[in-house]
Amino acid sequence: MKKILMIEDHADIRRLIRLTLEITDYEIAEAADGSAGALLAQAIKPDLVLLDVMMPGALNGLQVCRLLKARSPSTRVLLLSARGRSEDLEAGMEAGADGYLVKPFSPLQLIECIRQQLAEVA
Amino acid sequence: MSALIDPSDMLAPPAGNSFPQAAMAQMERMVQDFSRMYRERNDALDEVTNAHHEALFRLSLAADLKDDDTGIHIVRLGYMCETLALLLGQGATQAEMLRKAAPMHDIGKIGIPDGVLKKPGAFTESERAVMNQHAQMGADILSRSRIPLFQLSAELALTHHERWDGTGYPNRLAGEAIPLSGRIVAVVDFFDALTMDRCYRKAFADEVALHMLSAQHGKAFDPRIVDIFLAHSADIIATRDRVNQNHPSYSDLVAGR
Repeated sequence: MKKILMIEDHADIRRLIRLTLEITDYEIAEAADGSAGALLAQAIKPDLVLLDVMMPGALNGLQVCRLLKARSPSTRVLLLSARGRSEDLEAGMEAGADGYLVKPFSPLQLIECIRQQLAEVA
Repeated sequence: MSALIDPSDMLAPPAGNSFPQAAMAQMERMVQDFSRMYRERNDALDEVTNAHHEALFRLSLAADLKDDDTGIHIVRLGYMCETLALLLGQGATQAEMLRKAAPMHDIGKIGIPDGVLKKPGAFTESERAVMNQHAQMGADILSRSRIPLFQLSAELALTHHERWDGTGYPNRLAGEAIPLSGRIVAVVDFFDALTMDRCYRKAFADEVALHMLSAQHGKAFDPRIVDIFLAHSADIIATRDRVNQNHPSYSDLVAGR
């Protein structure tokens, strides 16, 4: 079973994402901030990380993304952000992200994006 | 009366990290509904696909029964193609598709008169022409569907009599212009047809059939596929013997048992 780690500071968004992904066969782990997420990623080695860009704390999403990609380039990273301007997208790609989903996204968009990312892994 | 959402809740600014509780509960319900509909839709699609697949599989069985009184040939073919595809380095998903699609490759034989199909001796030129139509007929039957599995079986039906050297039919494709799936089925079909009893001859021994296969290296068949087949013939023959022993049903074939 493919493993997904979501790193997102809003508990409600985590809850909605988890609910959305209940219909899929993925194993889902979650972390509420960048540092906890980076640690958890090392422990569980997820196939895909859903990563909020703007998070309070020592590490924001882009920093976490660089860290994840430096440690394990094959881990897919899908950024989640309310900021959809082209500079934001470019900053995400520059940090090594594999995809970018602008909030608010629909459940189907999320499922489809994840499926695509993981299909490229397999 | 119970209001689902208290309007004052909706207007209240999110406290800290959170949506108003009632709004959150409402969103959760919507996501749950979405999930249920998504699951139902996928289940319904699976069911339709399976019914369609089973109908075509039974029709293929009917076609196969015309020259094999057990109908097990097409089932063996499916499993052996899967084994060979895996040995050739194809992914598990692709190989599984081939297992399900390969049994339907000869479905066009349903349209060939018995007088031709079961003729013991050599064909006349016009009989040969009739016989050769089964490839195109099969492709016509199968290609109506947009479902990937049937697209693949249509491709197999159309290309399984093409030859590596370009002298096959119906389109005289050569080399890698023939889809890999068609090249795989051609090899497995050749070997399995040789090693079974036919109305006009007894089965050839495995060693004889393998020898006949190697003689077609680079002629009828893709040399790489022949090499892999010969190098791993024990695995492929083991797959065949397992099918002969277990007689997998249609649902076994779909489930990969």
